[in-house]
Amino acid sequence: MTTETATTGASLAGAPVRRGPRPALRGRPLGARRQRRLLAWVFVAPLLVVNLLVVTGPGLASVYYSFTDWNGLGTPHFVGLSNYGEMLGSDAVGSALVHNILWTLFFLVVPMTMGLVGAFLLSRLRRRQTFFRVLYFVPYVLATVVSAAVWRQLLDPDGGVGAALATLGLPFLEGLGEVNFLGNPSLALGSVAFVNTWQWWGFLLVIFLASMQSVDPALYEAVRLDGAGPVREFWHITLPMIRPTLVFLGLMTIIWSFLVFDYVYVLTQGGPAGSTDVLSTVLYREAFQNQRHGYASAIAMLLSVISALTVLGYLALRRRLRWDV
Amino acid sequence: MSIPKHVLVPLGLATAASVALAGCVSGGGSDAGGTVTYWGAFYAPATEEAFQEIFVDGFNAEHDAQVTMEVKELTTLGQLTDTAVAAGEAPDIVYADGPSAASDFARADRTVDLDEYAQEYGWQDAFLPWAYELSQVDGAVRSVPASYGSMVLYYNAEVFEEHGWTPPTTLEEFEQVAQEADEAGMVPLGGGNAGYQGMSEWLITAVLNAAVGPEKIHDVLTGEAKFTDPEFVAAIELVESWIDKGWLAGGAESYFTTDDTANVTGLANGTTAMYLSGTWSFNSLTEVFEDPEQWAWAPLPSLSDDVEPGVFPLAIGTALSVSAEAEDPDAAAAFLDYVAGDVDRALEYTARTGENPPPLQIDADQFPDEVDERTVDLYSQIPDSTNVGYATWTFFPPKTDSYLITEFDKVVTGDSTAEEYLAGMQDTFDKEFDAGTTLVPFTPQSEG
Repeated sequence: MTTETATTGASLAGAPVRRGPRPALRGRPLGARRQRRLLAWVFVAPLLVVNLLVVTGPGLASVYYSFTDWNGLGTPHFVGLSNYGEMLGSDAVGSALVHNILWTLFFLVVPMTMGLVGAFLLSRLRRRQTFFRVLYFVPYVLATVVSAAVWRQLLDPDGGVGAALATLGLPFLEGLGEVNFLGNPSLALGSVAFVNTWQWWGFLLVIFLASMQSVDPALYEAVRLDGAGPVREFWHITLPMIRPTLVFLGLMTIIWSFLVFDYVYVLTQGGPAGSTDVLSTVLYREAFQNQRHGYASAIAMLLSVISALTVLGYLALRRRLRWDV
Repeated sequence: MSIPKHVLVPLGLATAASVALAGCVSGGGSDAGGTVTYWGAFYAPATEEAFQEIFVDGFNAEHDAQVTMEVKELTTLGQLTDTAVAAGEAPDIVYADGPSAASDFARADRTVDLDEYAQEYGWQDAFLPWAYELSQVDGAVRSVPASYGSMVLYYNAEVFEEHGWTPPTTLEEFEQVAQEADEAGMVPLGGGNAGYQGMSEWLITAVLNAAVGPEKIHDVLTGEAKFTDPEFVAAIELVESWIDKGWLAGGAESYFTTDDTANVTGLANGTTAMYLSGTWSFNSLTEVFEDPEQWAWAPLPSLSDDVEPGVFPLAIGTALSVSAEAEDPDAAAAFLDYVAGDVDRALEYTARTGENPPPLQIDADQFPDEVDERTVDLYSQIPDSTNVGYATWTFFPPKTDSYLITEFDKVVTGDSTAEEYLAGMQDTFDKEFDAGTTLVPFTPQSEG
């Protein structure tokens, strides 16, 4: 205990303790504290090695390649900032970035709202709550490729849902038979986002619901005694109490929205005419179709910077607003 | 509990080392001497079975060296191979989807020089001259073409007969059939790029060869002409006019949601009149048509006054090389010759599977009776034809080819004019031409 207080600089009574050199461990073969540290390193070492091999190493390699003209096979040649210059002047990258931003805004609003409202309504159910929770969560466990392939059929202008609804004889649905959701450049991005939302919102709902269930019921009872209805309960109790979850999922939504690839690639491959291109599909095309791994690495750096700025912004907000998450 | 230092430190080092080594060991190098590793990908299980029996088991029975085949997904084989080659973990036989991709491996010294084997196995005499020429990089043979084909016009013979149509040979005839098909409520010309954006270059290959002609394409590929020349602009504008009329795939929006299967099915059920596609479609047509005898092919019609009807744009679909990492390159080269260099064996495979044969010197009477007569017809006509052209994925350099595919979307949507599209293509080509990464195309036979 003496060693501990000397190290932390506070006694049990709270009085300051003079900081000084660590009590002599010299001469002792291996102190208990050093043993614990060494043991911790032993357990952490495998993860560190894995991280070095599959995260840090490739990440640093990408930084290096982003300054080269590497084609994936030959010797990379240093090209300075030309990849970055080309990227900043590229219409394809600019358009993809705009699509990523639109995608992010959509996912911060639509699925998050659906998840929040859905979770709040479910939390008030006394019976069959598990049934609905499973029902909404099922799309999330389906393989992306499978659900994307199914939705491609459902959105097909000839044999999909639109065509089927158009045959019902209802005037306001007749036009649906003519709508090509994935073939129309104006509709394609929204259609892909819709399909992704179908899978994603159930996951958000389950997480929000779990968070809501940890809220102290006494708070709800208190606000009800004050005459609050469900809307005020939600606004004044639920939302503040689940703020850590809400903020965390918002942060991850922003990061994931800039990394989105699977649904876009399977449904449209970035088309028609780049109308659904996002940074990751441009990156993929440059790396694996055009063999421009150096240039693709520069785009990867842009994605990393966006993610880093998002996290830094979150940390700054947390510090400024004294959030407990 | 305390752990002695002399135990802890080695334990930590051993743990870290074992994790690091695990990654290295699992990659492995080439198999032990006398074995050849091969990655195959097949259209159907029956095709895989035929390849295994005819080529792998046949080779293993006749040679001391043994081939082991690992089956991959057809759609991802190219990318898997690219990644493996880049990582130095490629199989002994390296797949490429054409000589252009194979030349990238060669230029990076990831595949071996096959000149010595070409002499040993007599590949120069065995293969068609244009294909042998394309297999060379800087004068040395670096790959072997394992299959070849062409672009043709597919139609449903029964539907054509019903409407009194004959396969068009000129632009006027083509547009006449298209007009009547449109009036009959059919999609006049199948097309689209859903699921595989590369389908666009099938259309462009057909149109450029049939409207611009092999001579002009040759001139562009050798730097003597430009993609921006009026003939090319007129060809792309012709496609634009088909889109505007709703002839191609039923319109611009449908183009992006129609895939190859839908086009083949449309031909089979009579909702699509014609489809410009490659000879690889023989298999799927036979499978989809209720009466397989009803699908038919015709050479491409001429789409301008300057081009003779019946041009065959030549394409090599698979080019095989030997990895620089191969432990037994002699055995690997022997397997290449076993797969692609023997006419009888290659045609036995074609007979069993319907797959396109290698570009070997093949006489019509060498085809086994089991080979579909439409296949025999095609592969008898091509070697005798003097009107042969260039498939973009075989003769165009990679970045130009990629541009051609991805930017064509904007032509379809009307976001790009023919001039703008072709100007961008020329810029891309110029860079590759200046870098010396373009292949030398054969001289058009009508010139030579």
